[in-house]
This record gives sequence, C-alpha cells and structure tokens, in this order.
Amino acid sequence: MSEPTHGPQEPAVEPVVEPAGEPSRRTAIQAVTVAAGAVYVGALGYPVYRYLGTAADEALKDAAVKEVTLEVADLAPNSALMFKFAGRPALLIRHADETWTALSATCTHLACTVSYEPEKQRIYCACHGGVYDPKTGNNVSGPPPKPLKAYQAVYADGKVVVSRD
Amino acid sequence: MTKPNWLRRAWTWSDARLDLTAAADHLKAKQVPNHRHTFWYYWGGVALFLFLVQVVSGILLLVYYRPGPESYDSVRKIMNEVQFGWLMRSIHAWSANLMVGAVFVHMFSVFFMKAYRQPREFGWWSGLALLGLAMVFGFSGYLLPMDELALCATRVGLALPEIVPGVSQIITVVVRGGADISDATVQRFFVLHVVVLPLIFLPLLAGHLFLVQKHGNALPESEEAKPVEARRSVPFFPHFMMRDLAAWLVVFTVLSSLAALFPWKLGPQGDPLAAAPLGIHPEWYFMSQFTALKLIGMVVPGTLGEIVGIGLFGLGGLLWCLVPFFDPRTPSGAQGRKVTQLGIGVVIFLALLTILGYFLA
Amino acid sequence: MNYPAWDVPVIGSSLVIAIIAIVHVYISHFAVGGGLFLPLLERHALKQGRRDWLAVVQTHSRFFLIVTSIFGAVTGVGIWFAIGLGSAPGTSTLIHYWVFGWGMEWCVFVIELAAAAAYYYLWGRVSDQTHVKIGYLYAISSWLTLLIINGILTFMLTPTDAWLNAIGTPDAAGFLLFWKAFFNPTYLPSLLIRTLICASLAGVWAFWTVSRLDSQVHGDLKRELAAWTRQWLLPSFVILPILVIWYVSNVPPEQRELLLRGVGTAAPGQFTAATRMVMVTALASMATVVAAFLFTDQRNAPDFSVGGAAAIALTAFIAFGTSETVREMLRKPYVVGGYMYSNGVRLRDVEKHNAEGYLTRAPMAYGATPGDIGELMFRGQCLSCHTREGYRAMRGLLAGRNHEGIVNLLQVLHEYRADSPYRSYMPPLVGTPGEIAALATYLEGLTDLGAPAPLPTSSSGGAAPAPAPAPAPDSAVPPAPAASAAVEPAPPAASVAPALPAAPAAPVGAAPTSAVPAAPLPAPAPAASALPAPPTN
Repeated sequence: MSEPTHGPQEPAVEPVVEPAGEPSRRTAIQAVTVAAGAVYVGALGYPVYRYLGTAADEALKDAAVKEVTLEVADLAPNSALMFKFAGRPALLIRHADETWTALSATCTHLACTVSYEPEKQRIYCACHGGVYDPKTGNNVSGPPPKPLKAYQAVYADGKVVVSRD
Repeated sequence: MTKPNWLRRAWTWSDARLDLTAAADHLKAKQVPNHRHTFWYYWGGVALFLFLVQVVSGILLLVYYRPGPESYDSVRKIMNEVQFGWLMRSIHAWSANLMVGAVFVHMFSVFFMKAYRQPREFGWWSGLALLGLAMVFGFSGYLLPMDELALCATRVGLALPEIVPGVSQIITVVVRGGADISDATVQRFFVLHVVVLPLIFLPLLAGHLFLVQKHGNALPESEEAKPVEARRSVPFFPHFMMRDLAAWLVVFTVLSSLAALFPWKLGPQGDPLAAAPLGIHPEWYFMSQFTALKLIGMVVPGTLGEIVGIGLFGLGGLLWCLVPFFDPRTPSGAQGRKVTQLGIGVVIFLALLTILGYFLA
Repeated sequence: MNYPAWDVPVIGSSLVIAIIAIVHVYISHFAVGGGLFLPLLERHALKQGRRDWLAVVQTHSRFFLIVTSIFGAVTGVGIWFAIGLGSAPGTSTLIHYWVFGWGMEWCVFVIELAAAAAYYYLWGRVSDQTHVKIGYLYAISSWLTLLIINGILTFMLTPTDAWLNAIGTPDAAGFLLFWKAFFNPTYLPSLLIRTLICASLAGVWAFWTVSRLDSQVHGDLKRELAAWTRQWLLPSFVILPILVIWYVSNVPPEQRELLLRGVGTAAPGQFTAATRMVMVTALASMATVVAAFLFTDQRNAPDFSVGGAAAIALTAFIAFGTSETVREMLRKPYVVGGYMYSNGVRLRDVEKHNAEGYLTRAPMAYGATPGDIGELMFRGQCLSCHTREGYRAMRGLLAGRNHEGIVNLLQVLHEYRADSPYRSYMPPLVGTPGEIAALATYLEGLTDLGAPAPLPTSSSGGAAPAPAPAPAPDSAVPPAPAASAAVEPAPPAASVAPALPAAPAAPVGAAPTSAVPAAPLPAPAPAASALPAPPTN
C-alpha cells in the first residue's frame, strides 16, 4: 500500500473532483476499499445469518433424532398416538392384538398429515382420500404413490422405543 | 470515474419513467451551510440512522419474539439459545436509548439555532411529535420482555397518570387491559409497538424529512447576521453526504461497542405478586418527569401533588411547542435572547432533575 | 499477603489500572509513530520546497511534545503507582527479574525526551539537515523504548520454559536468561503489530493538527496534508490481520481457547467477552479508516473540523482499547504465565498455602482476629479483580446463592479440577478449610441473601457492567447446591466483564502446582509499596 515515504505522488494541488493519483495507486485504493467494505458487510451479515439460522439448526437437530421413547401406558388398544419424530409428525398405533406399528404420518402424495381411523381399521388422508394399511403402511387405495415410511417399534414396561435407521 | 455502459443505460431507462434527474438535480443543488456550528447539523441524520437500525433489529427480533404468556420465555430464548440473539436485542435496546439521546440533542440544537422560526414551524412541531412518539416507543418496548424490571417500571409508569380523575378507567380498559399488568397488557403493548406506532411514526417522519428538504438547514443567528456573500456552504451531494456517512459509521461503532461489551440484561421473570425490587426507576428519558413528581409530592402530598406536577409538565410542554409564536424574528432580537436564556434554563433544569433522580432512586 | 490490598470501591483496582494503562499506551504509541511521522513529513516538505508545510510540522511538533511528554509521562508514572498498589506481587516480579530491562528503558527514554525537546526548540536555529536528523534520533530512541517494553509485555504472556524452569535458581535473574525470556515466542509478531499501530496512531493524531488549519486561509494546504496524513492509516489496516493470526498462533493453546471458545460458543451465540472485543476491534478499525477517508476526501478536506478529527480519534481509541484489553484478558488466569496467578499467588505456593494456610505467615495478617480472616482472604485473593459492589461485583455474581451455594462454589474454585469451567480465567482458591469457610461467611454477608432484602435483583441500574444475560434467569433462582463442579450455574464464562488489566495469562502446565519445581521462597519484595510496573513509555 501507500508507503508514507512515497511522497511524490501527492494529489495535484488544484482542487480536482475525481480522485487523483496514478491509476495503479487509485486501483489499489479502490481494491482495498472494496475489500474492506466486503469484510464489513460480512461482519454484519454473519451474526444476522446465524441468528436467522438458529431455527433451522434446531430443526436439523430434531431431524437427526434416531430414537425416541414414548410413554404408552395410557394408550388404549386399537388407538393411535401422534408424536414428532425426526422433525416430522409420526404415528404410533397400538393394535387390538397388542402389536405396535410406528409410521411416518406424512402422506406420500402431497405431504398432508394422515390419521388413524380405528373403526375402519385404516390410515386415512383427508386431503385427497388416500388410504394406507395400518399394520404395514402400504398404500391401499387413492392417490398415494408409495407406502408410508415405517419405523421400528419395540414395547417394554409401558414404554415404546421408536427408532429408525 | 466513467460509469460502465450498462449503468448509464439503466439510469436513462429509469430516468425516462421516474424523472430521476429532477431528484438528482435537487440533491446537487441543495447546499448545507458551512460554519462553526455545522457540527449540530449531523444530529438529525444520526437520529434517523439510529431509527433505521431500530427498524432492522426490531424486525429481526420479531422473528423469535412471541407476545403474550410466552413473552418472557421467548426473550430468554433469544438471549440464551438463539445465535447472536443477545446481540440483536442489545443493539435494539442500545440504539433506542442512543436515538432518544440524539433526538434530544437535535431538538435543543434546533431550539438554539432558532430553526423553528418562519417558515419552519411545522418542522418544529413534527419533530416534537416524533420525539413524543419515540418516548412512547421506548415505554411500550420496555415492557415486552416481561422481566421483573419491565413489569415494575411499567406498573409505576401507568399508575402515575391514573391519579388524574377519570383517567384510571381509560387506562384500565384501553391501555392495560385489566387492573394490573398481565399477558393482555404485553399483547396490546406489542400491537402498539410494532403496528400502531410505526403506522403513525413513518408518515410523520416522511413529512418531517420532506420539510427539511424543502426549507433546507436553518442558519444560527450569528450566521444570519453576516452578509450573504460572506456565508459559506457546501453541496449536500456528495460533500455533506460523505461526512454524514462517516458520522453514521462512527455512531455505529459506538453502538456496536456498547451492545457487545455491555449486553442488555434480562432480569428474572416478572411476577405480578412479588414485591417491587428496590431502587426501581424509569428509563433516563423519563427520569426528569419522574423526579419532578417525586419532589412535588414532598411539598404537596397525595393526588393533588401529582395533578399539579402533571399539569406543570403539560404546561411546560405546551409552551415549548408554541415557542415559534412568541419568538419571531424581531429587529432588536431582545425577545430572542430571552428565549435563548429560557432554553438554557430548561436544559439545566432537566439535567439537574435527571441526575437528582438517580440519587433519590 | 505481603502487601496491603488496594481497595477501590465500585470500579476496583483492575479498572483503575486498565483506564490509566489504555490512555497511556494510546499516547505512547502515538509518541513512537509520531516520532517517524514528523521527520518524514519535514523531509518531504523540504524536498518539495514547501515552506508552508514546515509551519504546520512545527505546530504539530509542539502539540506532539506536549501530549507525549506531559500526558505520556504522567500516565506512565500513574501505571507504576496503580499496578504497584493493585497487583503488588506481580509488580515485584517484573521489577526483580527485569532490572536490566528497566535500566535500558530508562536510558533510551532520557534520550527520547531530550531529542523531542531539541526537535521542537531548535526549529529554525539549526540547519534543515541537522533538524531532520534530530527528528530521526527521536524516532529511533522512541522506537527502542517500544522494543524493550514489548519484551516485558510479551514475556508476561509467554515467559518461555527456560525461564520457568530456572525460577528459584541463581540463574533466574541472570543475563542469558533475560534475553531468552525477552525474545519469547510472541515477541516478534507483537513488535510488528505495535509498530504498525504506532504508524496508524501517528496519522490519527496528526489529523488533529490538520483539522485546526483555517480553511479560509489554508484550504489547499489542508487538502494536501490531509491526503498525506491519511495514508499512514492504511498499512496497518491491510497488514495487521495477517500479523494478528501469527501472534495468536504463538499464544499457548490454553489461552487461545479463550478466544476460540467464544467462536464455538459456550452458551450459543454468547461469545466470550474476549471474542466480542475482537469483533469490536475489527469493526472499529474499519470505521476509523473509512471515516478518515470520507472526512478528509479532497472535497471535504478544507472543511475538515476538529469534531471530525475527534470522531476519528474516538473510533481509533475504541479499536485500540479493545485490542489491548483482549491482549490482557488472554493472559488469564495469570499475571505471569505459568508462574503467578492474577491475584498474586505463585503456582508453586499453592500446595503450601493449602497445607499451612494462606494467611499464616502473611505480614498483613499479623494480629488479625478470627473475625478478620474472611475479609483478609477476600482482599488477598479476590480484590485484585473483583469489587464488593460495582465492577465484577460479588453482590451481582453471587446473587441468589445461599450459604451452601457459596460454599460449593468456593469448593469448586479450591479443587480446581482439570474440567472446572472456571479454570480458564480464574485462579484457584488457596487456603486451609478454616480460611475458606471464613471467606464463605464473609462473602455471604455481601450478597442480598446475606443482607436483609428478600429479593435478589439485578435492578438498581447503573454500575454492574457486564454480568451478561446468561446467568440471570437461572441463577436468580438459587441453583441446587449441586455437589459436583459440572452443575455449577452458568459460570459467567461467556459473560465475564471486559477488562482485566491486572490479570495476566499464560501457558498452563498440565497440573497447576506440581509442574512447577519446588523452589526456595521467591525473594519477596521489600517494604516499599509503590512499585513500578510495566508501562510502555
């Protein structure tokens, strides 16, 4: 940069409107100015970016969950429990035969949340009438293109551990 | 510096539709007087800059803040969990204080330059209204975190005017939404702070800025006394604007230092049933009024004292508003000097009351 | 406790030291940079045949002489008084091991002062060439003062293993060891950084003289000088970031941690005070340079006012003050890294204090009644960084803790386990169980709970500066008197208040005490209490 000793290239004596000096020095000063501006904007922008990003960070952390333990002592046979798993709604069904099924509750058609209908023994999506099998999550009828994602559900001592790969 | 071609073409295209040249010509033609009091011309711009900082940081806080029953928890989350949340809140709170400070400086410099005289009366009034609104901004924003201090200070602040007969009912029903501060109060203070006040403030600010453009900077009397050819000025664009920018940069440095080194605190959650902590006092810009009421209360105790106090302050404010009428330009300038002395008296009076307030607290 | 503790109410002795020291170094760096600025400007003016510039140089040299020799010298002496009282054992260490350094410093300082006076008083009385040469003499001698003091300052952060191992042997104050400790790992980067800062500050202060030129008469002159002056700001602005990286990489990892943990965030987003200061330094230096270029742009230079110069000086001061404070903070929890903690306790004395008592043989505790023990402990081990009420106040930091809470906290500080969160910035608490119990009782009396008022509150505005947000919500409710260190409520890690001038920092041996060789008692300083300290001059 401009060494103090480089005196000779002083700005011309008469008032000039344009920045004076040799082109190379002017370019250098402009480069420094732009760089400094970029750093300054970065220094301001980084905290704002991180600030706004906290919500996404938390969601990611949620999404990273591989396993949850659910209290199911109060859950009656042939009924279901909605819970949040991997950042998305999920469905735990206690069948009348005391088997357990854990499924993603996001319809594979257009991402509505599905619900369990005990009286009809089916999983139903109210948006477009998609129907899934409550034991396997297979798409039975309606528009859904593929089965609901299934998780492992293991029962022990009034608790169910739901996990995924 | 030659502009790149595309930039010129974009300018021509927009200019044909928006008449930018007229605006640019105005800016280029605009002159800012240059004299030994030019320093005071920066303060309006500084206040404007701090307001912009408030808008940006306020919008960012809205991303996580939740009014109502969750208000304290959401602020606690902003302070402790959200990345840089403490910084955003500190910037918002510090810039609020600095802005009110800058507006006060601006107001007194306008007063002593006698910039309220014809044709700038509306500039004076709109400025005073903006100051008033800024203080209401401050008062309403102070409650939003719902910590102990916010709760108690707001409780006291609302209790003061309640003394005046008939006001109590209005405050309970309209302002507080109940007999005591509650979630309902936070909810409506929130509405006031982020919807109602900005709706009033922004057009008023636009009008204020328009008037500044229309009339230009006022000259202090010492400059007015000079013959026109001895007065000096610089173009607003780009000369003064560059200096304005530099001043903003300095102000922003001070602001970020304060915010980073002295983060705004969040006290324990406000409990409406708990006793008020010791030494409770309002923000500094309400301190002089607060102290005055306290002092008058010592002489004239009870309701009457408060009514007298509020009445006196109201009268003072009214006189302050009307100063353009009793200080017109006169050939002798005797009246003007008296008003200047009065102004100095007001500054000293307010400063003393404020300082005293901190000792009494 | 070999010395009385200096009890400064509200602001505390550490803040007194910080304020005096920052003002002093702000001026002294100007003195060094200005030393080069003046003769170079003079030479330039002579070459160009610009006699009108010379008049300005002369004016500036008077301003320079007054500021540096009066304010510089007064604040320099002030530092010695302040550190001698506020941190007597540390000051004693600096004197006893650095006699030779202070001696050299004094010699060059005398030359510097004489040259400065000669430069100003011989304007027009000697030939131009001679006058410029006097200026160079000043420049060299003032830079030499920096060269020496820089060795002592960097030694405190990175004293080198050679020195630490020799402590307690006859070699410790020897000539060879002196130079080893002098040219320690942070010496060179620090010297280059400071030299660049000197140049920048020379420019910042020269704006003052430039701004005072009457634009009606000297419009063009003002424009030219402003342009010449502002380029002094650029080199440091461009090169410093690189040098700082070099410097930080030579800082011991334990200290670097203090900065990096901020970036990694202990409490999310809650940078440590040190990291926050670094951010402010960066923003403020950029603001200084950009504001300087906007204010002194060719179009504006003739109207460049004292207010503008003051604004630039203010941002430069913020940048400089925060960077100096961070450097001091980096040394936590030491005054002299690996040798002495910030409260004057030597690492190798820790075991002895714990076994025999901190106050047992302390001259300041002779005749103390059992009731005095708690307060003497507080004065000896806490007061160098904390106050009762005010800066880093015990009242605020202990707010909401009941007796068990305080006892447990002291136990954490006393055990000083490897994973203790306090380790990175606080010394261990030393003393016998009885002494520590007495301290707990004394501290309890300082809190709200100890006093009558029922509610712990952070209310009454003002004073307590930084106890940042984090601790507030949780610690207000008395935290369960947890048994283990880990459960301690939000240690103010992230939020420790700003400056810690008296407190030093340095390389930590793995285990605090055992790593240091057992050795004879360090020569305690003799009586006199007003001892010199590390001023730059």
